[in-house]
Order: sequence, then C-alpha cells, then structure tokens
Amino acid sequence: MEEAASQLERDHVHSVYEKIAPYFNDSRYKAWPKVRQFLLDQEPGSIVADVGCGNGKYLDINDDVFKLGCDVCSPLVDTARSRGYEVQVCDGLRLPYRRGCFDAVLSIAVIHHLSTKERRIRAIKEMARTLRVGGRLMVYVWAMEQKRRKFEKQDVFIPWNPNPPSSPASSRRRGGSSNDSDGGDKHRKVKSTSSMADEDEDPAGAKDQRSPKDQRWFFSRSLDSVLDFGCLATPKPPARELNVSCAQMGEVGGPKACRRARGVALIRQFSSIFSSSANGSEEDVFGSTADLGGTRERSDGRPAGEREAVFGAIISGCSSVPLPDLVTHQRERLDGTGQDEGDVESQGTPPQRQASSESLQDRQVNRWGKEKPADPCLRYYHVFREGELLELIQNHVEELHVLQSYLDHSNWCVVAEKVQVWKI
Amino acid sequence: MKLLTHNMLTSHVKGVIKGYPLLIKATEVKVSEVEFNPQFVSRMIPKLEWTALVQAADGLGQLNDLPNELVPDYEKNDEFLRKVHHVLLEVEVLEGCLQCPESGRVFPISRGVPNMLLNEDES
Repeated sequence: MEEAASQLERDHVHSVYEKIAPYFNDSRYKAWPKVRQFLLDQEPGSIVADVGCGNGKYLDINDDVFKLGCDVCSPLVDTARSRGYEVQVCDGLRLPYRRGCFDAVLSIAVIHHLSTKERRIRAIKEMARTLRVGGRLMVYVWAMEQKRRKFEKQDVFIPWNPNPPSSPASSRRRGGSSNDSDGGDKHRKVKSTSSMADEDEDPAGAKDQRSPKDQRWFFSRSLDSVLDFGCLATPKPPARELNVSCAQMGEVGGPKACRRARGVALIRQFSSIFSSSANGSEEDVFGSTADLGGTRERSDGRPAGEREAVFGAIISGCSSVPLPDLVTHQRERLDGTGQDEGDVESQGTPPQRQASSESLQDRQVNRWGKEKPADPCLRYYHVFREGELLELIQNHVEELHVLQSYLDHSNWCVVAEKVQVWKI
Repeated sequence: MKLLTHNMLTSHVKGVIKGYPLLIKATEVKVSEVEFNPQFVSRMIPKLEWTALVQAADGLGQLNDLPNELVPDYEKNDEFLRKVHHVLLEVEVLEGCLQCPESGRVFPISRGVPNMLLNEDES
C-alpha cells in the first residue's frame, strides 16, 4: 500500500508538476489574502518555512521575517531560486530541518496531493516537528464541498492542459489583462510570449463557444480500491505499451520500472474503462456516468469488482475547474468580491488513451504545439470533506492545538499552534 | 544556500541520531552585500545553533573574528551584530555539497539549492 501510494504520487503529482512547471506563470497567481496576512502577522525576525513552496509565490511577503521554501519539484524550486529565494528540494514526509527551528510553517495546497491518510498525517507531523513550541502552522487543502463543482469521490485525477483552445473571449481578455496589476505581486513576470503560459480564460465568456468535447470532466474513485485493485488484480496491459511508458519516463528495466508499470497499468485501467464508456456520443457519456451508482449494472459487462470501483464524474456545464492553488486577478477584478475560488487552469481533456491514440496525438499537437507533454497530465488530489482536516490534526497530531478552521477559496484551512507535550 | 538556512538543515537519513550540523563542502561561495538590520539579526540570534554557525563560517573562511561563544548584551553590540549579519545572510554556498556527520551521506548543492531528497531505502 505504502509503495503503491508513493508510486501514485510520483506518477500523478511529482512528475506532473515537473512537466507543467515551465508553464506556471505568475500572472495567474495571487497570494491569498488570509495566507498573506498569516505571514504578515509573524513577528520581525521570525523564521518561516513554506513547505511545498512551488515557484515561491509566498516567499516575497514580509521582509521582516526570514523565509525558506522547499518543494519536491526541482524545476519549480529552480524558478523560486531564480527569484532570489532560499529554497531546498526535499520530500514533505521527510523534512531536512531540525526540531523546533521554525516560528511558522505554511502548507498551502500540498497535503491534498498525498494519497493515504497515514501519509497526510505523517506530513503534518513532520511540519509540527520543525515548529517551535508556540509556533504556528497554516494548512490549506482543497475542499470537496464546492459551490460550482461536485466530486463523486474524494480521490480524483484532475487533468491539466496548458493551452485550452483560444476563444474570442480569452483573447479579448488577454489584451486587457496587462494593466491588471497588483501591488503585492512585485515578482510577477512579464507575460510570456508563449501562448501556453497564458491560459487564463474567462469562464463566463468562454462558455458559449465551448464544444461538447471541451466539457470539463473528472473521473474519480476511491483510492483504497485503486490500490487494492492495483496490487492484487490488475490485468497486465500489453507489454509494448508498458515499454513505451517506461521509456518516456526514462526508466528502463529494474524493479522501479515494474512498479511504474503497475502504476501505468492502474491508470490505464481507469482510462480504458472510462474511455470505453466514452465511445458513444457525448450524451451517452453523460448519461452513463450520471447513472453510475457504484454497483449498478452497466452495459459493458465488466466484472463486478471493476465496475464497483470505477466512477466517472462529470462536471457538466461547468466551464472552469478552479484549482486550489490558484486565483485569477481578472476574476477578482470583475466580480470585485475577492472570493472567487480559483483559476481556470486546466481544460478538460478526456483521457481517451485507448480510443484512438493517433487522433488524440493529432489533437495534442494541434492544441499544445511542439512542446506538448507526452501524456495527458492528470494530477492526483484527495479532496477534503468538512471537518476532515480538523479531525486529522486533532486526533492524530498531539503536538498541535487547532486555533482556527474555516473554508477559504474552496479550501479547508486550519491554523494550529504547537504545544508542549509531556511524555513520561 | 545561506548559512542561516544551513543552521536549520539537518540530515534526515533513516536511523541517523546525530545528523547535525551538516558538514559543508563548498566549491563555489558567493559573498554579496545584504542590507543590515540590527533588530532582525538580534532577534535571529536566540534561534540559532551558535556553535554550528561558527563552525560553518570557519569552514568557509568567513569567520571574521566571530567569537566561539555568544557575547552577552549582543543586542547593543553593533559591531558584533554586523559580523553575525555577514555570516548569516551575506555568505552563500552556490556549489558543493552537505555531508551527514553520522552516515556520511552527501547531499548536493547546485546553483545554490541543496537537494535533500532521500532514496526510498533511506527514508
């Protein structure tokens, strides 16, 4: 289980971020007000760690404290470094910092990428270890309860598409977005000339131009069943496919490749089941997935265990998938509330690996140009139910005392303080 | 990697009990001027492992008469705070590695970024 979990995170978190790192653009990022405030509230001379700092969007806030950032994704860390930040590459489950050295620790949009409860607890415990007694931890994780989208399961794969089809609406906005400046984001880069980096899209404006194929969708299922399934009963995909996959990742032979192959098989399993239901018209897809109730009989005659484990969840009519770590300037400017939940980061690309690889290939070339990632980039998330993060900390991390718990930007947030635990 | 960061870093290899401080083996060090803020430095001092800082600075030839023992009333000692400021914030290791004092495990530093990732069997 542990090995499979770690493999899943490598394939669907770490390697995805490595692929998409070049397309991260500061114009799409804005520090969330409450996170910014948390940083500003730290006393001068504090030492603060941003664990999972990505490209370092929170590392420029508050010059009176010393901040360091770390992330497992080396390209993102390099970006942060190029902006002059103090950063390290490390794993959130094994932080290379001494006990009690930080006055505050940030964990923004990180814990939801860990695929088992045990690992999520371990990551929080690691951060608690590095805090001094009285130091504070702020954790943000993506919420399952969201206004504009529904998740059928807590463990989901979210596609990333760096370059959604351009629409008159988005080009119009693109022209107008250059004077959208925010005083706080002084490290924001000049807009890239690459269209890939500038994929903000106005959900309202783009809606009408959207073809049915561009409807965004998720597929999701319980991770526990994924892992059980993967370890015990995954049918082997054809060897040729596996070799290709392994070669793409630069891993050939050895146990690593085998483990990876299992992960590939696993995700292929998802994809093939999913695309098999997508062979019909779009209406069929929506119809059949809407019917999926876990144990309902399906027309494709797949074995019960498989059927039971698989869910397809479609966000129909939802033209944007705001992601937990993003917020647009444009949206805030438009609605003026500052409460918009996120950004249009990914365009729903159905994972039709089996359907017709050639036409999929063509489409990817068209949409992504020469530099397109070789695979659809599916990021794994565990979306948190109300109270789940709180429970995780209260019941499993005794060194932390929760001070606040709230919903912000479609994320559950907890602020906790490290307390002295006396052991006999 | 600034020496202030180094002061926080420890070896986290599985089974290691005394992984601190990490031994710096630098091949490229940069010294650049950073604005001096005496209040910032004096607030930072109690959070430091002083001996580790002195050792690290000495190893890089940047000791500049920094005393082995923390001086009393350092908050008012501008000269002392400037020395600490220099060592903490102005000295950066760009290339080289960090070595775990117990296991000998080496962590590379490249373009100023320490890579502290462990292999599966080490974590």
